Amino acid sequence: MARLAAIVRALGLAYRRDWTAFQSLVGNNFFLATVFFMGKAGGFIYLILGLVLLFPLSTDPMRKIPRSRLALWPLEPWEHRLLRLVSPWINPMTWVIAGLAIWTAGRTITVGLWGLIAGIFAAGFLLSDLPFAPAQSLWRPMPNFPGRLNQLVRKNLREILSTLDFYCALILSLSTIGFRIAGVAMPGEAFMAMTLLVVLALASYAQCLFGLDGAGGLARYRLLPLRGWQLLAAKDAAFLLVAIPLTLPMAPLVGAGAACMALAIGHSPAVHRPRTQTRWRFTTGASIGNGMVQIVAMAMAASTIWSYPAVVLVCVAAWLGSLWWYGRELEKTREE
Amino acid sequence: MLQGSMISCRNLTRRFGDSTAVNDLTLDIPAGAICAFLGPNGAGKSTTVKMLTGLLAPTSGQAEVCGLDVAANLLEIKRRIGVLPEDLGLFDDLTVEEHLLLTGAVYGVERSQTRARTDQLLHALSLEHGRHTFAAACSHGMRKKTAFAMALLPNPQVLFLDEPFEAIDPVTAKIMRELLASVARHGVTVFLTSHILSMVERIASRIVMIRQGSMVWNSTVAELPQSLEDHYFDLVESPVVEELEWLGSPRS
Repeated sequence: MARLAAIVRALGLAYRRDWTAFQSLVGNNFFLATVFFMGKAGGFIYLILGLVLLFPLSTDPMRKIPRSRLALWPLEPWEHRLLRLVSPWINPMTWVIAGLAIWTAGRTITVGLWGLIAGIFAAGFLLSDLPFAPAQSLWRPMPNFPGRLNQLVRKNLREILSTLDFYCALILSLSTIGFRIAGVAMPGEAFMAMTLLVVLALASYAQCLFGLDGAGGLARYRLLPLRGWQLLAAKDAAFLLVAIPLTLPMAPLVGAGAACMALAIGHSPAVHRPRTQTRWRFTTGASIGNGMVQIVAMAMAASTIWSYPAVVLVCVAAWLGSLWWYGRELEKTREE
Repeated sequence: MLQGSMISCRNLTRRFGDSTAVNDLTLDIPAGAICAFLGPNGAGKSTTVKMLTGLLAPTSGQAEVCGLDVAANLLEIKRRIGVLPEDLGLFDDLTVEEHLLLTGAVYGVERSQTRARTDQLLHALSLEHGRHTFAAACSHGMRKKTAFAMALLPNPQVLFLDEPFEAIDPVTAKIMRELLASVARHGVTVFLTSHILSMVERIASRIVMIRQGSMVWNSTVAELPQSLEDHYFDLVESPVVEELEWLGSPRS
């Protein structure tokens, strides 16, 4: 039993260290905006956040042990079986599901809602236990783009699509389109607000454009014979290729302007304070201060463009100016 | 700097806080040479490569590559060199083939040429079966071969290779060795670090040894007074084998 206890203890420690899904929310613009500005409309937003969060949290803790290592350990068959039974309880979500089951028995929540939550959890748990990682192959096919930055843009698109920010924005965008198709009467301003929310959901990524490249990627960028603005442009192109289509069915000019502002403000922390990000988590911005500045700039740009569409050109100019300036700054950065 | 040198440095020094990683290094490597830069782990080999390729700024001293000052002409130097960095510098979200296509596009190689060179390199390095594998899913050997192919594809004037033969199978290592010998015959300068002395002995034309950041030997292979391994053990570090009594003793 001692070695089993040692393995479970080590698993628990590794799992706690990797449990970054909730921590990543703290520096996320979308979360900040919902906390500070949208308290009243929070229910729907938090439901979306909860659903998007639930999936990556539903991983099997046993995944932390490399398969080859587990096979090499001198464990008896009964110890393997016991480990299989005990390990799911290291994941707090198992306790949450169990707690909800008790609530369901007490008729506090419906069986249907419990079934939905438990189903999402079970799907995430089982998928994470498969010998191949479906997340690795998700979104891999990408179109080609003209120009020498093609492969960089494709790579950057794959990076964005491996963050939860994108899925949050996608659900928001699809919800609004659903309302539109259903013919639900909505005030015009609602489209502007939803557009802003969609870009807000993506905006933290603009603060950490190099967060998923890893140390090897950053070294490669420094070796490529490209100007700093070209490296940033490849990042920005991927961001805009995601943000603009998601806002097209709502208020496209507002979406383009807000996305340009998100990038214009985000370049500074992305270049000067690159922060490593984790795949399949919400992106964490450089700081709450940076997030607030970004949110205010985007909100001001969105409301002004809604009244005076030509202001979108000012946003584009701000983005281009930032691209040029921080491209130069990027060229100056070297390893410490 | 010495005329005709493709890699030169004078009093190159790099400090990290109180420790000196590279101390007062002065070198001249002529065109077409294969220079092996040897030393134990932590001796300053990778730091030197990083300073020569512009990845790391020196604390003091000067470096020139292809006759250009590294500090002042970084972009132009990047266009002329191929590098296999210590951490390989691969992107998890690109396949082996996409890495090579990216390299061709970024270094201004014509698209048809890039395609042809990609196919040739993948074939030569036995990477064809993994051409559509993402770097994140590649074995260490495949990743190293990809980074090596990326260094060769733009047809550089100088190659910097940080431990190119480690984690490589013997057949591919031989192919890489012959490719390097071939490019050197065409005037390309190769600067490599390695711990595999038998491989170095077969390929290098110049040997530089470094210990605790300071150069302790610099000559052509012909000028070595004894075998490379013996000379390395004499100058750089002698292997001290300690007996671990508990190894192999009856278990308690």
